Amino acid sequence: MSIIMKKSVPIALVFITAVIFLLEYFVLPTELKSTVTMLQNWGIILTAFTLGFGAVNMFVFHGKQVSRRAKGQWPYSLWLLIILVLFTLVGVIMGATSTQYSWLYNSSYFALSATVYSSLGFYMTSGIYRALRAKNAESALLLIVGVIVLARNAPALAAQFPILVNMDSWLSSVPTTSAQRGIMIGAALGAIALGLRTMIGRETGFLGQTTEGEKGG
Amino acid sequence: MTAKPKTIWDKLEDIPREILYGLLLVCIIVPMLFPIGFPVPISAEVKRWYDTIEALPAGSVVMVDFGYSGGGEPELAPFAVATYAQLFRKADIKVVTMSTASEGPLLWEKAMTELNIARFGKEYGKDYIHIGYIAGTETAMAAVGKSISATTTTDYKGTPLSKYSIMQGVDSAEDFALLIEYTTGGDQSEGWVRQWYTSYKTPYLCCVLAMMVPTMLPYQKAGQIVSVVSGAQAGQIEILVKAPGRGVKSADVITVTHLLCIALVVVGNIAYFGKKFSGGKS
Repeated sequence: MSIIMKKSVPIALVFITAVIFLLEYFVLPTELKSTVTMLQNWGIILTAFTLGFGAVNMFVFHGKQVSRRAKGQWPYSLWLLIILVLFTLVGVIMGATSTQYSWLYNSSYFALSATVYSSLGFYMTSGIYRALRAKNAESALLLIVGVIVLARNAPALAAQFPILVNMDSWLSSVPTTSAQRGIMIGAALGAIALGLRTMIGRETGFLGQTTEGEKGG
Repeated sequence: MTAKPKTIWDKLEDIPREILYGLLLVCIIVPMLFPIGFPVPISAEVKRWYDTIEALPAGSVVMVDFGYSGGGEPELAPFAVATYAQLFRKADIKVVTMSTASEGPLLWEKAMTELNIARFGKEYGKDYIHIGYIAGTETAMAAVGKSISATTTTDYKGTPLSKYSIMQGVDSAEDFALLIEYTTGGDQSEGWVRQWYTSYKTPYLCCVLAMMVPTMLPYQKAGQIVSVVSGAQAGQIEILVKAPGRGVKSADVITVTHLLCIALVVVGNIAYFGKKFSGGKS
């Protein structure tokens, strides 16, 4: 594939699309509304397509694992494929909102997903016990703040000691929010820089693998 | 060479994780089986959430995003169910729901079953609707904000939206009096600020996982979100709505488990200093 098709055309498309979105947002909201709506719908369709594409990719990858009998892997790959086919068949034949599909989801994926997430509570308890130790000034500060937040989030303790609510409120409003704002502003500036670099072709990560010569810039 | 016997400080400083997990399990199971009935104080954020919905005038249309996955259901669903109860108790409020998470429609159905919607006398398609999962996260939010009909033509069951009376005169973000979000993802909770509040000034209520609250606080402080709450505060909204459910039940568990964590922190520090001052290394 020529460098024009591999690099120049995608960068031009990104540049034109970005300019349309920027103009619609800041300058011509009415005039460009229909164009942007169409582009956004394309985006939604492409995202939905990638979900299906992801499933096909997973099928191919795990299919290879099974056919090669990959050591320590293939039984899990086979199980994944069985579940993938089962969910797809039930979803396509019965419908994704059917009782059968809901039952399948609720009694397998939902239960497992909630269990895995809930199990974090056990690791966090162990982590709190081991990490919150006043070994130096910094860890003592973390310990004090951690205990205040823990106590405030226990409903009965917050009811019994209203000062905890005030302390937590100050911690949330002042140090947490100001630190978070700093992070957000930094990330936003980074995103603007990345966006501009992508628009003008200086950032080529989205093009996939390119040679050093093709990267240019 | 024999190993030095462990002192009491050594043992307390390094309690095996199996014991910690066992203690936590007891602290979860016992209050669930034998509710203690600890008080549940109402926080300012939850009160603001409740008051915002109460202040909605008749005829208002509310957009709800069921943007959480199965893992977040135990934390977020009780808050969502209580809020739906509050919305449905109010006269002439229409609720349009969409999902920015692929599991959203299934979890929404689950929440509706838990809510027992029949007791409110509300009708699907007339008083409430689910327009389905719309892929693309922020792209979906922006597209729906501009025009629902241009983004999707059917509800989550595949029935054309034109068949439902609720969608008459409802098409863009400007038609909504309030936006409510339940999510396990930062892209969604922050995306609504960028795509709806910034563009249309739609009042926004945001319910996220407890660990996500600090990341959302700057938006609340800046007035871009009316109220940020965590799903763990579900007991509070259930008390305000007078619809006790899973949230109130879990309040006891939250108190007892948090007390356990504080006790473990105290034990760990006593052991640390005990060992230090008795000549042992820490």
